Amino acid sequence: MMGDHGNSEDEYVYVSDDDDDISGVDDCDDDYEADDYDDNRDEFQAVDVSIVTGPSSKVITKESLLAAQREDLVRIMDLLSVKEHHARALLIHYSWDVEKVLAVLVEHGNDELFAAAGVKVVEHDDGPSSLQFSSTVSCNICYDDVSATEVTTMDCSHCFCNDCWTNHFIVKINEGQSRSITCMAHKCGAICDEAKIRCLVGARDSDLAEKFDRFLLESYIEDNKRVKWCPSVPHCGNAIRIEVDELCEVECACGLQFCFGCSSEAHSPCSCLMWKLWSKKCQDESMTANWITVHTKPCPSCHKPVEKNGGCNLVRCICKRTFCWHCGGQTHDFYGCGRYKDKDVEMDTQSAKRDLERYMHYYNRYKAHTDSFKLERKMKKTMHNKINKLYESDTSSKDFSWITNGLNRLFRSRRILSYSYPFAFYMFGNQLFKEDRKKKKQRYEEEEEGEEGEKKKKRQKYEEEKKKNKQLEDDMKKERTIKQDLFEDQQQQFEANVEKLSMYLEEKFESYSEDKFKDWKMRTIALSVTTDNLGRNLYEFIETDLLGCFKDADHKIAPYKSKGVEKASEHHSSLGI
Amino acid sequence: MQASRARLFKEYKEVQREKTADPDIQLVCDDSNIFKWTALIKGPSETPFEGGVFQLAFAVPEQYPLQPPQVRFLTKIFHPNVHFKTGEICLDILKNAWSPAWTLQSVCRAIIALMAHPEPDSPLNCDSGNLLRSGDTRGYQSMARMYTRLAAMPKKG
Repeated sequence: MMGDHGNSEDEYVYVSDDDDDISGVDDCDDDYEADDYDDNRDEFQAVDVSIVTGPSSKVITKESLLAAQREDLVRIMDLLSVKEHHARALLIHYSWDVEKVLAVLVEHGNDELFAAAGVKVVEHDDGPSSLQFSSTVSCNICYDDVSATEVTTMDCSHCFCNDCWTNHFIVKINEGQSRSITCMAHKCGAICDEAKIRCLVGARDSDLAEKFDRFLLESYIEDNKRVKWCPSVPHCGNAIRIEVDELCEVECACGLQFCFGCSSEAHSPCSCLMWKLWSKKCQDESMTANWITVHTKPCPSCHKPVEKNGGCNLVRCICKRTFCWHCGGQTHDFYGCGRYKDKDVEMDTQSAKRDLERYMHYYNRYKAHTDSFKLERKMKKTMHNKINKLYESDTSSKDFSWITNGLNRLFRSRRILSYSYPFAFYMFGNQLFKEDRKKKKQRYEEEEEGEEGEKKKKRQKYEEEKKKNKQLEDDMKKERTIKQDLFEDQQQQFEANVEKLSMYLEEKFESYSEDKFKDWKMRTIALSVTTDNLGRNLYEFIETDLLGCFKDADHKIAPYKSKGVEKASEHHSSLGI
Repeated sequence: MQASRARLFKEYKEVQREKTADPDIQLVCDDSNIFKWTALIKGPSETPFEGGVFQLAFAVPEQYPLQPPQVRFLTKIFHPNVHFKTGEICLDILKNAWSPAWTLQSVCRAIIALMAHPEPDSPLNCDSGNLLRSGDTRGYQSMARMYTRLAAMPKKG
């Protein structure tokens, strides 16, 4: 790379340990397709592919939503040879998970698959309607006798008058249940044919019919685990689909970077739970938040706040999950929930003060780095101007992409650094992982008991056990301290490098002499590589040594990407629609 | 609004015509308001509610029959799925399992069935539910019978 500005020996040094900075070049190349590093390129791309396998996220705009949804519909329609509305009902019921539909099909067969989703596939044509043409039919809802032309029969063969159907649909659509409007007959869970709904509702209220269509379309996003709305405010109208089944951070076409797990800003190396707790802690409690905490409880399944509107304590969320209002438990097992569980809370003023001090320590550092990030963002423009100036002046090289790369590296690293403080706050605090630590302790105990279980049972020496317990606790504490020290060391190193990089980039390099400029370039590139490596090491340490010990906890973080948060690519339909 | 009125009127006529069809249920519409109904139901036999007559109050919403009527006991009753103070009833067909094909008459029938077959796992009256769940059928029955005597039977003498 960049072989033409002399001094190739020096440059070779960083080429060899810098696969990443070069692959990083690829994503910010506007007019940077210089021939001079073409021969090295293939090699670097090979490295690149091994890190990221293909584009793992796609932007779905309002326009491509229809096509994206159709892809899945067509797959199901072809595989099961069903009509579109049946395929849609199936996919809505199984959260647009085509694999799941097929798995259920293989395991339980056609009938059960359809029955669970309320799909009734019937072969009958519209024959009977012509048969009843002259007669009248009695509708079981309004008890009116209506002419046979004024009634509609659904796939489940239940027949009611058009007026009653329409009223039923309007109520359901307004209740927000467009995706699963069932038949009116008692205990009939069959999903109504969307075309018939559209036709009947459209005849009375075309706006509502449009709304219905939109709800059906948006089900693809809202019920789908792999698709999420971009959380931008005001909303950009886009959604993101991920192709791999793992936690990641993505960048929408509108430029917003967010965590796919919790839809808040990209926050790694904090886990989603940590970030939620942290932002809640930092945020002033607004009135709305107060109201929500007082009047609602989060559904254990979909986590939306649920308000109770009746007396019964067995609450049913709109996602159909029932849970106990008292304890938030998923099943309606009321037995355990009324029992008082003694939480050993020692809230003396001393510990409260200590907690506050600890929080302030981490918060101040988090805030400082966030503020630095905001200031550094402003450098982007001035840097751009500087680079333009360099273009105009006649230097031997016209390639300044490494400056932008360095700047981007600084932005990413600064963010990681700021989020590493709330991470440390929770990782080494007592609020989280309490249960996990207890479990880990139990595991240790079990292991030891297994070794000398026989002897122990015979002796039953209470004293010894107590002593052992204490030692075990001490050991765990020691282990924790060692890990914390290691983490803090890495964090400090990383921090020092980030600050240095920031300093380098703020230098007035545009007025440097050629030699000085070359020196500055070398320093900047080398530092950028070091920072990248340190960042990766930090993530590795967090993933394997810190979070890795708590396998039961759902603390997962998006993996480190030296290129930064991945930009979602445009969705192109494979159907060519 | 019009649809619900028409439907209720038809139900009213049906009730008038088949007054003797179901002797356990007596549905009466409010003289001035077709959206307010009361019902007298007899406690099912072989239950602690036998011999009692219970009064129910119906408040019918304007979107009836697409939305369920609100029903509560006016007579005090000791039953796991009925709130002891307000008389509110926890019954799936009055909430999310409602179907427009139900009528006020059939709701009464469902409530009678609920009286005979309580669901102690989703209790509104926890004391009553706990008795049943702990297997103390006798305790539950004697409590329920006592309240039936006190509240749902004509006082003697």
